[in-house]
Amino acid sequence: MSEDPALGKLLDVLSDEYARDILAATSIKPMSAQQLADECEMSPPTVYRRVDRLQAFGLLEEQTKIRTDNNHYSVYTATLSEVCLELDTGSFEAVVTRTDESFPGERESDTADRFKKMWEDL
Amino acid sequence: MAPMAAVVDWIIIALAIGSTLVGGYVGYQAYRGYRRHDSRTMQALSIGLFFLTAVAFSIAFVGSLLLREGYLALQYQQLLTLITRLFQFLGVLLIAYSLHSRG
Repeated sequence: MSEDPALGKLLDVLSDEYARDILAATSIKPMSAQQLADECEMSPPTVYRRVDRLQAFGLLEEQTKIRTDNNHYSVYTATLSEVCLELDTGSFEAVVTRTDESFPGERESDTADRFKKMWEDL
Repeated sequence: MAPMAAVVDWIIIALAIGSTLVGGYVGYQAYRGYRRHDSRTMQALSIGLFFLTAVAFSIAFVGSLLLREGYLALQYQQLLTLITRLFQFLGVLLIAYSLHSRG
């Protein structure tokens, strides 16, 4: 019996309490890495490691914000909505449901970012 | 010129300038999209939009002013139209290209 190796990795990610905390916090509102570090009481490197893993699985979305002093910083939003694990005749199957934007770029606050996503998604 | 015709003339000019400004704004947002994401698609789109709106219109508008005021001989009218149409064509071509380019 072989199972999809991605399933094990996905369950690994979700078994991590820090990762779940990040998902929970960013499902309420977009947050920067610094905000997450404060909110979830973890060190910034911990945040970045978890964020990278969550992004690799497409569970977290990154948006770039530009401050007036031209410094970029990123805010993160959870895109995970539901993980459904199904056991059927000898194999597990995971179905990941993500929150959908009703149109591409909907969550972008900057016109240029929204424009890019809308246009490139035509 | 009858007052009515003069009013219509002004409306035409206002609409033309409005198109340039709005077209320029859309082109500018596309340009920002290109700069922020280093996206070739958005680069082509922004240049295309600028060509189609701001550039083509400015050439036509300035050209017609020069012709009307007599700074430009009438024989250049066709050349002016040609250049305008060329920029409009390049504009839509770039937008079409951007639709089909990725990244």
